[in-house]
Amino acid sequence: MFIKRSNLFHSFVGLLVIFTILVTGCSNTTIDQENTLDNEKQKVVTFSWPGDIGDLNPHTYFPNEFFSQAMVYESLVYYGKGGEIQPWLAESWDISKDGKEYVFHLRKDVEFSDGSVFNAAIVKKNFDTILDNRKQHEWVGLINQIKDTKIIDEYTIKLILNNAYYPTLQELTYIRPLRFVGEAAFPDSQNTFKDGLKSQIGTGPWVLSEYKKNEFAVFKRNEHYWGTKPKVDKVVVKVITDGESRVLAFEKKELDFIFGNGVISQDSFQFLKNSGQYETKLSEPTATRTLLLNSNREATKDLKVRLALQHAFNKQAVIDKIFYGMEKKADTLFPPILPYTKINIEPYEYDAEKAKMLLDEAGWKQVKGKPFREKDGKELQLELLFNSTDNIQKSIAEFTQGDFRKLGIDVKLTSQETNTFWTTAFQGKFDLLFTATWSVPFDPHSYLASMTTNSENGSPDYNAQLGLPVKKEIDQKIKKVLLTTDEEDRKILYSDILTTLHEQAIYLPISYQSNIAVYQKNISGVDFLPQEAEVPLTSIDVN
Amino acid sequence: MSWFIFKRLTSLIPILFGVSLITFILLHLIPGDPAVAYLRASHIPPTNETVAALRVELGLNKPLYVQYFGWLGKVLQLDLGMSYVSNNSVWEEIVVHFFPTVQLTFASLILIVVISLPIGMISAIYKGKFVDQFSRIAAFVSVSMPTFWFGFLLIYFLSVKLDLFPVLGRGTLAHLVLPSLTLAFTYIGTYMRLLRASMLGNLNEPFVVYARVRGLRQRLIVIRHVLKMSLLPMITGLGMSFGNMLSGAVIVETIFSWPGMGQLFVTSILNQDYPMIQGCVLFMGVIFVVCNLLVDLTYSFLDPRIRWEGEK
Repeated sequence: MFIKRSNLFHSFVGLLVIFTILVTGCSNTTIDQENTLDNEKQKVVTFSWPGDIGDLNPHTYFPNEFFSQAMVYESLVYYGKGGEIQPWLAESWDISKDGKEYVFHLRKDVEFSDGSVFNAAIVKKNFDTILDNRKQHEWVGLINQIKDTKIIDEYTIKLILNNAYYPTLQELTYIRPLRFVGEAAFPDSQNTFKDGLKSQIGTGPWVLSEYKKNEFAVFKRNEHYWGTKPKVDKVVVKVITDGESRVLAFEKKELDFIFGNGVISQDSFQFLKNSGQYETKLSEPTATRTLLLNSNREATKDLKVRLALQHAFNKQAVIDKIFYGMEKKADTLFPPILPYTKINIEPYEYDAEKAKMLLDEAGWKQVKGKPFREKDGKELQLELLFNSTDNIQKSIAEFTQGDFRKLGIDVKLTSQETNTFWTTAFQGKFDLLFTATWSVPFDPHSYLASMTTNSENGSPDYNAQLGLPVKKEIDQKIKKVLLTTDEEDRKILYSDILTTLHEQAIYLPISYQSNIAVYQKNISGVDFLPQEAEVPLTSIDVN
Repeated sequence: MSWFIFKRLTSLIPILFGVSLITFILLHLIPGDPAVAYLRASHIPPTNETVAALRVELGLNKPLYVQYFGWLGKVLQLDLGMSYVSNNSVWEEIVVHFFPTVQLTFASLILIVVISLPIGMISAIYKGKFVDQFSRIAAFVSVSMPTFWFGFLLIYFLSVKLDLFPVLGRGTLAHLVLPSLTLAFTYIGTYMRLLRASMLGNLNEPFVVYARVRGLRQRLIVIRHVLKMSLLPMITGLGMSFGNMLSGAVIVETIFSWPGMGQLFVTSILNQDYPMIQGCVLFMGVIFVVCNLLVDLTYSFLDPRIRWEGEK
């Protein structure tokens, strides 16, 4: 019998025993216990990330995270503040007059984390494995332009391009795929993209020392590192998917800092800031949160309607009420601190009366007794598409619906789950769509380049711009600017492109996004790095 | 009995075939393309060329029936395929994520029994008294409070304020307490009341009257006769809940960063990782059927009147 008559209570007690065995039997040394022991000897900082670090391969993508790839692998050149390209693994470079050849002089004091030498041969080997999978990296303009790589001498390598491609140096700063793994990391097939790495050997300041998938990763300092060595000995990255749980873990001091964009809610940031118990920081603008107006749809095809919407949207109210003033008001498609993006234009200010006038001029008139404007018997209804998992988009969408109603515009909200959202967006089935620029080092050149791609799945921007009379002209200029070697020409072209886009009122920039940092008072050196996805782990110290 | 078990296990085959086919069809009805989903997650602009290359690599360019039967053929050789996202074996991923979930579910199940059994029993015995009234309110709170809210309350008071448990993560017994309590909480109220109702029904049965007449003590009657009989509906429920908890602990897993099946499943859905979703569904299907089988077996032990067809 399963349960004997008088054994019922015994079974009950037995359950308790199983429980104890189960939980204690499954226990292992926890990262916290280990940290407590380590803390006595070593300096450890702990922070969290919404997902696992991935398999830590610089030549592949998801589920690899930008920040973890940037901790272990480095590039030939570095994207400095304001877009200035700085020497990194290459200490200098020469560009041929025709702009088709780049010669990189490598640093001679660089070793991989296993002690092997970093030289032209390993750079070529890395480039070759990346170029073997050209199709998969096709989105990086430079990959399509590289014709060949040649070793000049042990510490000099030459890139030969098909065309003079100006963003070459910018794209070499990307966190992936153009970064380097050591010889011992290559799989037997030598194809790091298809077969992954044997081990994670890079030249960066950190080495992965312990890892439990979806739970935590521990990085220790790379003792072979050529640059400024990190101040702390170890970095623990805990996987915490939920923003509120992250805040609670931080309050309990299980985390030393919170860093990133959208990792905690605006309310939580405000709460932590106001508590006065922690340090908080907000970065310079990284990317722009915008509404894309579809010029290929009935109502928004009309420039006057698009201009009316620009004046009808109350950015300041959104910033004050939804972002608690945390994001800065955006007047242009790209933050003006990026290269080539400071243009001389007059921003569209909030002016409801002007918006009404423009709508009247466009033929959308108020009809007595009806809430919405009409033209040829049709109501002015605009479909605003937003991502259902993004709470900020939802709030702005609802605010816009209420605000535009006062002007006689019926905003129909369409909320879709991420994948469906993008499918609908690519098909151009929207009047207004939430979008954002890609931040540096992709902005402005990569984001603009994506607008020119006629692709079912490419950028929704292409379809949304199709109704513009100047679409061809814009595309030609974007293609031209990428291949211009003359700096002055480039400035003029960028200015032309951005001015035209502004005049066509196709983008309604709302605010500039920023990274946030919240940290305990004993942490110092928290600063923002130029690339949005990089975490300032090298400069952080525990006091 | 072995015939019964054999029959139940063989019935798994058509059930799982049906489940996998329906899942496959439903997956392909979802708008969106896994190749595009992967590229988006990688921050790669999905142009025609990149999407086409990835679709060929993932085998998504083949006709649907070829994809399905190709997958089925591999499953018959116990190969659940490779995840589109992590490029790891689906089976390995399931194993890695299943153990934490089993740990969490078992702990919760035991908490449910340990808490709801005595309270349910006492409320039945002292019907209408203070204990019963209290348990009624407690059950009401338990079934109405959203799981995530209860989880945050536990973290806030027991972890952040009183510093009794870690906020999240996995490892020691202390790490298990809050998530398992959160997961168990909703079920506790249900089973407390279920046991109470079932015991009240059985307390009026003729065999109880007869036992009293025989002069047996109340304690003995309740424990030896009534409780055993009254456990039947609770066991059925727990068997079902066990399956539910194994696959549906996603909220608890998210709040407490518990790396279990729920998280794996939801992430796979968000990433449209077809092989992973198919693998998880199939695996969960097996778990559900096995849980039901175990419940049925337990039944016969508890109530000798229940016999399997094969033994009649």
